[in-house]
Amino acid sequence: MSGEQRQTAAQIIQSYDGPHLRIMEVCGTHTHENFRLGVRKLLPPQVDLISGPGCPVCVTPVGFIDEAIWLAGHGVTITTFGDLVRVPGTRQNLADVRANGGKVQVVYSPLDALAYAKEHADEQVAFLSVGFETTVPAACLVADQAVTEGVGNFSLLTANKTMPNAYAALRDSADVFLYPGHVHAIIGTGLCESLAEQGVSGVLAGFTAKELVTALAVAVRKAQEGKPFFVNAYPRVVKPEGTPAAVALIRKVMEPVDTEWRGLGVIPQSGLALREAYQNMDARKKFDMPHIEGKPNPACRCGEVLRGVCKPSDCPLFGKACTPLRPVGACMVSSEGACSAYYQYGGDLL
Amino acid sequence: MCVGLSAKVVRVQDGMAMVDASGARREVSVQLMDDVEPGDYVMVHAGIAIAKITDEDEHETDEIMEALLA
Repeated sequence: MSGEQRQTAAQIIQSYDGPHLRIMEVCGTHTHENFRLGVRKLLPPQVDLISGPGCPVCVTPVGFIDEAIWLAGHGVTITTFGDLVRVPGTRQNLADVRANGGKVQVVYSPLDALAYAKEHADEQVAFLSVGFETTVPAACLVADQAVTEGVGNFSLLTANKTMPNAYAALRDSADVFLYPGHVHAIIGTGLCESLAEQGVSGVLAGFTAKELVTALAVAVRKAQEGKPFFVNAYPRVVKPEGTPAAVALIRKVMEPVDTEWRGLGVIPQSGLALREAYQNMDARKKFDMPHIEGKPNPACRCGEVLRGVCKPSDCPLFGKACTPLRPVGACMVSSEGACSAYYQYGGDLL
Repeated sequence: MCVGLSAKVVRVQDGMAMVDASGARREVSVQLMDDVEPGDYVMVHAGIAIAKITDEDEHETDEIMEALLA
């Protein structure tokens, strides 16, 4: 055995003395966990953790909320993940709709939304299908099941997004990406490997304290070596091939479309819409919805936060007009939003 | 982005599994998993199992550090 004491992951991070390094937490849960677990306190001043677009609620444009409100106004029962209920639309949010007598049911899973529809055959039920590759399989599963079982009172209002083209759009925003573990649990590691070949560095990270500190240690050590790299630091969950059955299901039910991301604009082929065989499940078509253009609050800087251009505390509304109790922007509403994390953990001081 | 909950599979039937996460039990879909048996650990997201967990984070991070410092 060598008598030399090895550095711990925390010591590697703390002793980093290379150039300024921007590490983007693509995933909102990474942002929250790095705050909550105190990981940020290990970082030397020249390492910046910046938040990215990986909060499905945050990147969903205002117009989507307006569309859901339109559906509720036409007698459709809205089933949704809880985070979306308080996201401001142009004039109101879904909580206001519910307070005014609209039917808005919070569900944990799309499976629960379909079960609700089956139990309430006299209601038209729409599920607000937001989320990335991790969440899409559950939505596809229920769409497929509803078609197979002939559940005629169920539909999806889709705003699903995929990461590959978003990485391309963000490639200059950071020096190293902390890749979202659970997106890649579905799609595997091939994309990250090919990004490294194109000069984009990243580490796939898990969510426990040990996993996050280890992933950041890998990031700073490898960055110092100066060559583009990719390391899967979450191999107990993310396999190179991902979850093939989930990828096959997504391909069967949905197809890529251009889509708008709050703050990033329209990214070509970065969204998913239901394929022709599932058109009866498409709430926009089923209820002949007109085109609805949302208008975000012009003072809100969520868009820049999502691109890593500014920190939440740089927004003039942060902690003043915009708080978790009275959120103006989606990033303050969602439990995965960067503004919510900064507010909750005092990030304005970091 | 996609909060996952690790849970232990208690029983499996017809593509659904009863899972236990620190005492909280719930039925989730395991239709996307190749083979899941009672005793396995899975990552659950939005009511479905999205991946099998094949190791503990302690061992996983030890191996990554070994490779990093080799």
